[in-house]
Amino acid sequence: MSSKRDSEVVKRIDEFGDGILRNISKHESPKFGVPLRSLSNIKFDRTANLLRLGDKSSSRNFLNIAHAKKFMQSMLIASKCKELVSKGKTASIRELYYQLKHAIANTKENTFEDQSESDPLIVDLETSLKVLREELHLKADDKGTLIGNIVIEDSGDLIDCSKLGRSGLSVPSIIEHYKFSKVKADYVLVIETAAMFDRLVEEKYPQKNNCIMVSTKGQAARGCRRLVHRINTELKIPVIMFTDGDPWGYYIYSVIKAGSMALAHESERLGTPQTRFVGMTMTDVEEYGLQKVTEKLKEVDKKRISELLQYPWFQNKEWKHQLELMVEKGVRIEQQALASKSLEFVAEEYLPEKIKKGKLLP
Amino acid sequence: MNAPETVSTSFSLVFQAFIFNPVIQYLRSMAETEADTIPPTKEKHADELFKQFREVSVTEFFRKNRAHLGYSGQLRSLTTVVHELVTNSLDACEEAGIMPEILFEIRQLEKEHYKFKARDNGPGIPVKHIPKVFATMLAGTKFHRNIQLRGQQGIGVSGVTLFSQMTTGQPLTIRSCTGDNKVHEVTLLVDVTKNTAEMVETKEYSGYWRGTEVEGELKGVAYNTSDKGPLEYLKRTAIANPHAEITFTDPEGRKTVFKRSSSKVPKPPAETKPHPKGLAVDDLLNFSKSTQSRNVSSFLSSTFARVSSAKVKELQKMASFDLNKNPRKLTWAEAEEIVKAFDKMDFMAPSSEGLRPIGENQIKKAVLNILKPEFEVVITRPPKVFSGGVPFQVEVALAYGGNAGRPVNGNEEEGVRAKAEIMRFANSTPLLFDTGGCALTKAVNSVDWKRYGIKDFENSPISVFVNLISTYIPYISAGKQSVAEEDEIIKEIKMGLMDAARKFQIYHSRMRREIEKEAKLNTLLKYTTELAPAIAKITGKDDKKILKDLTHLVKEKLRIEAMEDELEGESEESEADTSFKVEGEEE
Repeated sequence: MSSKRDSEVVKRIDEFGDGILRNISKHESPKFGVPLRSLSNIKFDRTANLLRLGDKSSSRNFLNIAHAKKFMQSMLIASKCKELVSKGKTASIRELYYQLKHAIANTKENTFEDQSESDPLIVDLETSLKVLREELHLKADDKGTLIGNIVIEDSGDLIDCSKLGRSGLSVPSIIEHYKFSKVKADYVLVIETAAMFDRLVEEKYPQKNNCIMVSTKGQAARGCRRLVHRINTELKIPVIMFTDGDPWGYYIYSVIKAGSMALAHESERLGTPQTRFVGMTMTDVEEYGLQKVTEKLKEVDKKRISELLQYPWFQNKEWKHQLELMVEKGVRIEQQALASKSLEFVAEEYLPEKIKKGKLLP
Repeated sequence: MNAPETVSTSFSLVFQAFIFNPVIQYLRSMAETEADTIPPTKEKHADELFKQFREVSVTEFFRKNRAHLGYSGQLRSLTTVVHELVTNSLDACEEAGIMPEILFEIRQLEKEHYKFKARDNGPGIPVKHIPKVFATMLAGTKFHRNIQLRGQQGIGVSGVTLFSQMTTGQPLTIRSCTGDNKVHEVTLLVDVTKNTAEMVETKEYSGYWRGTEVEGELKGVAYNTSDKGPLEYLKRTAIANPHAEITFTDPEGRKTVFKRSSSKVPKPPAETKPHPKGLAVDDLLNFSKSTQSRNVSSFLSSTFARVSSAKVKELQKMASFDLNKNPRKLTWAEAEEIVKAFDKMDFMAPSSEGLRPIGENQIKKAVLNILKPEFEVVITRPPKVFSGGVPFQVEVALAYGGNAGRPVNGNEEEGVRAKAEIMRFANSTPLLFDTGGCALTKAVNSVDWKRYGIKDFENSPISVFVNLISTYIPYISAGKQSVAEEDEIIKEIKMGLMDAARKFQIYHSRMRREIEKEAKLNTLLKYTTELAPAIAKITGKDDKKILKDLTHLVKEKLRIEAMEDELEGESEESEADTSFKVEGEEE
């Protein structure tokens, strides 16, 4: 990261602090604004197919008793970030939590009781300062795995992702410094579950189908999303997603494609609108005779489906059809249910056939 | 004890006294039931029937019906003795304009066997009246007057003598001095068949004090400190009588002094004429027999309140006979006609002159003195009338926190320090028994306390004080522990309590705001100690100065909020007043 960018970030934090000082000298409550990250302030850009943040913002007010602790915590985070950037160090968000956690003088209360208190405040600070998390020298834990015919240059070292055995490359939370030096792939297959990823690795799917495989391991982390975005935009390689056939899998797909509500301010950098969806679909159940291996929808599933049906970015014919079909049948289907045919079925028939015939959802 | 003048001697005259309603009603109901149950089979001659007929003295009546007079149960009997003696002392002192000082002592002789001694600084009793006061039922100075006093029926102290005698066979010893340096000591029993005293011993010696002392023994009674025991009785008596000083020594020798909180001797109550509304035919006839008036018209306007000459004229138009006739010759039918006409006519409400509330300030002083609450409110309602013609008035008080409520000991629910207690009073006399059926209890329980921010009334440190004042308290029985459910009485008590509860609510929400404000200040100051160095680290400014400025800002901000709350609180109060009116007060 350039030191020029670092000094810009330090300048923003300084201005942030000066604003608070101005509040105090004017005898008003110390405060700062944070763009609202709820559905009410999310706009779906149909042309770009991306979630974008609206211009509503909320104010964090120290003298409001409901905000007081969060306000104090935000300031602790800001001061620690300034220190990190100035020293040229990068901390994980867990390390940051431990760095700041201590008992408040003369009380039994801690500045932070749990990492779940500091994590959302980091996002607040990013959006408020209009800087990226990595620019604050913060990183999340590694999450996601990549395997396939691509060579990545990381801080001078070359990583050939086709020669990493069955483990693949663990995707870090910051991948800005990656350079793609050699690549040979027809598409990127993004897979929701680690188990399916492992199955396809064992079946030598990437080699046989000339593709790169990425596993998100549940909801995709930033690093993973950014990596998919970069491969797609910089190397012009199409992206195909493979998830469980349930509202949770479909939402993971939408996050890869259009971005997430929590990080809508970064959709431009994290979303990959070109992504298409291969499965599992509700129509697969009929087509491949999988009725016996479906599972009944639970109440939470039904509730989630009705939420998805409200999201503007699910408002297209194909997706509404899938979701309505799911409600109608009252079932969901897992990726691994394909194993009911045979272990090889997914690698040798299901995926190649669907992709070859272009049976993909938008 | 009893004031000396006008002691009635004739038993039969006394028995006719119109005010002695409970016993008369009781006897009437007994007669009716017997008539109903005689089977019409074998006929007997009247002479045969009347072989068994003899006059029953009221004393004997009492002996057989002691439960009606409060002598049932070991604890209740003991409390009743305390009640009768203390009540008499207070009434006597008040009539004589003396600040009462009352001593009561209970000693245990053996199991269920106690000795008591009561002493006051009252006017004393002239020696010739002592036997009648202590050994003749239905003799007294009060029952024939339409006046608000604690005692009404003249059974009280003689009941103590009788109860003592029935349980121990021992006489009562009375020492009294009217201030003339001659102390009379009388030891007496009750002659049950004759309703008179049986003198055991009389002594006279010189002494320099004034007052009355009563000493006696009781068996089949038990002492304890429950909310129905003598100590609680005296505590409540002290609350309702702030001008009295009461010293109590319990069987373990522990002395409790309820100090007086007021040096004002209550004004003696005025005698009032009865009101025509709610009059019984029987009563009217009794009055007519003893009047000095020459005709019915003047008899009515001189005997009853609010009966003007215009009203007599109105009555004449409705009556079938001439009101100029001699009242002593009034027949039952004519009396009935008058009573019916009275019921149809409009009269001014009776004067409340005969009523003597304790007074808001007096109650407040007593409550503060004895309960030491965090909050108290006293409401005196305006005089009203029940049952057509009986004036009454209600005083209520609410005390919260401090020693209010009944303390909870041991394995009760967690966090509950005290339970709510209802202190019932009739003419400033505590009512401890027959709680459930009492109109006063019903009125308290009919208040929706949750509406006033008291979430769990039963488990709150609250004392509810209700004093019903009337020239005639409608007791359910001669035990005088429970008031009949007159709608007007229940309504007045409820109105008073709702008013008190509204005032409590304002206090309570203010307290809650104070606590919240305190918590808010502490929270903000706590976070300020972390916030200041963080800002200092970002801006490179002096953290001590930032801390000082922030602390100042927090305090200033909360001070302004407190002021705004104050204004809001005032508008809340006026809102409360509005809702008070909206709720359909008939004032």
